[in-house]
Amino acid sequence: MAFSIVVKLSLLSLLIAFPFVTNSYSAYQLGLYLLYGIVGQGIALCWGKGGFLPLGQALFFGIGAYISGLMLQNDVGWGLVIVTLFLAIVIPFLLAGVVGVLVFNRQIGSGPYFSLITLALALVGFQLANSQVWLTGGFNGLTGINGLPNIDSFGSLYFVIVGALVLTTIILSKIMGSPFGLLLEAVRENEERLQFLGNNTSWIKAAAFAVSGGIAGLAGAFFAPHQGIVTPQVLGFILSAELVIWTAVGGRFGLLGPVIGAVLIGFLASGLRDAFVYWEVIVAFVFILVVLRLPGGIGGIGVHLSRKIGLNFHSYGEISERSRSVPEVDKIITRELKFEEVTITRGSVVILDKLSFKIEGLGIQCLIGPNGAGKTSALNALTGKLEVDSGEISWCGRSLNNVRPFQTLSLGIGRKFQVPSIFPNLTIRQNIDLSLWVNRLKRNQLLSMVPYTWKSDLLEKLEEVFPFISDKSLIAGSLSVGERQMLDFTMTVLSEPSLVLLDEPCAGLSKAETETMIKAIADLSKSSKSMFIIVEHDMQVVELLSDNVLVMHQGKLIAQGSLAEIRSNKDVQRVYAGGTK
Amino acid sequence: MEAFATFLLNFVYVSAILALVALGLAMVFGLLGVMNMAHGEFVMLGAYSAYVVQTAQISFFWAIPLAIFVSAILGFLIEWSVIRHLYNRTFDTLLATWGLAILIRKGVEVVFTRDYKSVNQVVPGTVEIFGVNYPAYRLILISIIIGIFVVLLLWYQRSKVGLRVRAMVQNPGLAAAIGIDIAILSRVTFVIGVSTAGLAGALLAPLVRVEPYIGLDYLLSSFFILVVGGLGSIEGLLIGSTIIGGTDAVISTIFDKTAGYMSVLIISILFLWLRPDGIFYRR
Amino acid sequence: MTEKALEVDNVSGGYGDLKVVKEISLDVYEGSANGVTGRNGVGKTTFLKLICGALPLLGGHVRLSGRIINRLPSHSLFQLGISYAPQESIVFDGLTVQENLTLHYSSSNLDRYTYVFKRFPRLKDRLQQKAGTLSGGEKKLLSFSRAVSEPTKLVILDEPTEGVQSDNIILMAQVINEEKVKGRSFLIVDQNITFLEAFSDRVHLFDHGEQTYHTDGPNFRNDIEKRILI
Repeated sequence: MAFSIVVKLSLLSLLIAFPFVTNSYSAYQLGLYLLYGIVGQGIALCWGKGGFLPLGQALFFGIGAYISGLMLQNDVGWGLVIVTLFLAIVIPFLLAGVVGVLVFNRQIGSGPYFSLITLALALVGFQLANSQVWLTGGFNGLTGINGLPNIDSFGSLYFVIVGALVLTTIILSKIMGSPFGLLLEAVRENEERLQFLGNNTSWIKAAAFAVSGGIAGLAGAFFAPHQGIVTPQVLGFILSAELVIWTAVGGRFGLLGPVIGAVLIGFLASGLRDAFVYWEVIVAFVFILVVLRLPGGIGGIGVHLSRKIGLNFHSYGEISERSRSVPEVDKIITRELKFEEVTITRGSVVILDKLSFKIEGLGIQCLIGPNGAGKTSALNALTGKLEVDSGEISWCGRSLNNVRPFQTLSLGIGRKFQVPSIFPNLTIRQNIDLSLWVNRLKRNQLLSMVPYTWKSDLLEKLEEVFPFISDKSLIAGSLSVGERQMLDFTMTVLSEPSLVLLDEPCAGLSKAETETMIKAIADLSKSSKSMFIIVEHDMQVVELLSDNVLVMHQGKLIAQGSLAEIRSNKDVQRVYAGGTK
Repeated sequence: MEAFATFLLNFVYVSAILALVALGLAMVFGLLGVMNMAHGEFVMLGAYSAYVVQTAQISFFWAIPLAIFVSAILGFLIEWSVIRHLYNRTFDTLLATWGLAILIRKGVEVVFTRDYKSVNQVVPGTVEIFGVNYPAYRLILISIIIGIFVVLLLWYQRSKVGLRVRAMVQNPGLAAAIGIDIAILSRVTFVIGVSTAGLAGALLAPLVRVEPYIGLDYLLSSFFILVVGGLGSIEGLLIGSTIIGGTDAVISTIFDKTAGYMSVLIISILFLWLRPDGIFYRR
Repeated sequence: MTEKALEVDNVSGGYGDLKVVKEISLDVYEGSANGVTGRNGVGKTTFLKLICGALPLLGGHVRLSGRIINRLPSHSLFQLGISYAPQESIVFDGLTVQENLTLHYSSSNLDRYTYVFKRFPRLKDRLQQKAGTLSGGEKKLLSFSRAVSEPTKLVILDEPTEGVQSDNIILMAQVINEEKVKGRSFLIVDQNITFLEAFSDRVHLFDHGEQTYHTDGPNFRNDIEKRILI
């Protein structure tokens, strides 16, 4: 952390010294690319952190530029300038937010669609800027734009721009290090898992996109006084494409990378571009190389080298002490899960066939049955992953028929999938933080560092059972399969849901690990006030854990009772032995 | 009556053109899961093929095989070096092909400059049809496009190769189990897909300005057609083309080109909402 | 001494690094049939997928008539003489029954299916129907007929009787016995022990990803049943 500040301060000193070391005209030119670097930082937030790529970011930059240009065509005082800056930030912010909400709605992985929509929007913006001559001056643009009051566009404006860069770097740093930043990164890592930790991932992405829009607008607001003229190129496709290239090559995973990219490739190369006709072809090649082989770009190389010499970058969140107890979560009193004649058909296949059962109270219910019986489908139906055609699923009196996955946790339902689903490139600590925050992280704490300091009794207990989860800085992806299962289990139960759904929790575990897991589930079932439903094939597990067993076959429930009762049930025996005798 | 006939002809023409341009992306994205951001660039290369043929003072007719040849070679190289590692990884293909698109654009810019070129109309003049005088070349295009789609439909539904492609798309695991070489089949499908785009570009060359950046519009309209019409079926492609073409035609006539463009955008967002399973649902 | 058609030598594998199958070995001789059984979730299907190249091996070898095949791409196995009928997604739903039966041959001739059609006339009736509209059992019959009629020396079937009527199950066993006489080999996973008893020269029991027991046929029901605990 300290090292990162040292790097940033050194670069800042270089920037401040630049006009004195060279001349004010070079500084003037550099200033333009610093503005582009600011826009790139917003792209890095979306793409590097969030995993979605805006291809038309110049739209927001241009909107900011036009707003500022229109205002500064007149003689204005600082009061109006502040208002202009405000509008130049807020209008793109809101526009990006609305687009984000519309496009990300409901769907996981709408990445390509998002990218193309932003591209189309930039083209529309470009067309509008050309055609709405009354507003934008059309093809010739807005001219006669004054500088900021008492600030020489060719002189001191450079320092204002550096100041803006410092500001955006600080703000984005804070955002990236905050719980919101971690949530954004988790969206990129495993969006579905994050939904099953209670997060509306569409809103997270839209919010990040909105921030990037606002940042681009701010940069655009300084563009107008800097250049004195605003033409439609400022919101066009070509600039949008270059911004992405600079961000990619400079490094999309940090905040310095985009600036480095804009400066190195944009600024220093502007001379090369005129002299050497193939320069842009080379840049395109470099971009492809970065995208395929070197995703971190120049910034990534820098981080890699500093790791080699022993310097590590840890976020504040990773190293803060756990000192405060988690806030209390409301618990549901009655526990009752009911399936009433639930039918699901897909094409000609009947997945669930008037499935009906009722489970009440605490304890462990095991759901067994041959392949294709519909066990996982039943779980999918009750957690919003599979739409119900007819019938009613209710939990504690609330209908689950049209629930969306991220809502299940607010209803007290936690789910663990059969294949361990964690956030592989995040540390164990980060994985656990995300789970602790379920139902506890309030909106006003999204940017606060307090949630990183939470601890819970349950977490301490689980650390005793699974000691490896105390190793905070280990990357989750480096865990063995068995350890991943145990981490996934920990994450599911940390939020203390009232209904815990476990799909083959011992799959892939060694004998020893299976014993540990069984003991952990049994202990947890006694001490927590939760109902457990476990889908299992392993009869040893069922024998050791179940208070009650439900047997499904071909989408129906064929038996319910204790394990002994199930074993002596003729229908069940027939289904398991298979075929005629 | 005349105005209506003209409108109808324009509607058919625009839809046919859109369908032909989108066909390549329907194959590459719809069948192989490759979000080919360079799709428009293949159209552009096709248009430049027509320009090159004209500059060499050879008959326009040769533009077509040249366009297909150039697209096929480039498509083969791209598939072999980059794409084949990325099948069904939609976002990765978007990034990689976007970079390739930039490369192709810049390459063309270096060779031909950014000046607008034009390709002379090879069949000038009008023909009288349904009581109106309609440009002859457009009518020829409509007929050619109908022909292409009929042949394609027959081939896809009846031929062994078409059968195997359909099988591969529906159930790649089973296709491999019965001995279908998916790698080769995918490569062939990809090359045919981009060649179709090149062909479209050559046919359109006399009607549009030819410059390195024309590809974007074609990419976007093709993509929106697939959003509206769904992936994986020729009927969907045709439906999508008529909806997009019709909307654009109507709105642009009433208002202006930008309004037409925006209405297309809005329609696709609407269709996105109408398909809660996601637009990437394949039959 | 009959040759070994298939040698599976300590194979392990699963999904990602989730090791579902742990060092299993077995041999299938020419003209023989081996059955594999066990409860759900023990790794039977994963085991077959590993042999057929649908999943990568984490360890071990697979030899077909002495030649190592585990590093070859999965589509080449058909050429080498292995038929495979998977457990799920067993037909091409969007293609007709006839297309399902002929798409991987250059001619669309149905001659090779004459005697299969005699046994399962329903299939012949449904030739122009889309395979996706068939019932589960009919799909299994289609998949079985397709695999068994291929010009191969080893036929691998995963749960061929799931959802199939008992009369047809008996017919399927007959077909397998007739093919064995011609020198073809079979490796069949199924949970229907009666079915396996009808043709298996040897049966293997899997549990928890390992082979826990094997015995020679033809009467092994009691042995097996008492080892499969519900």
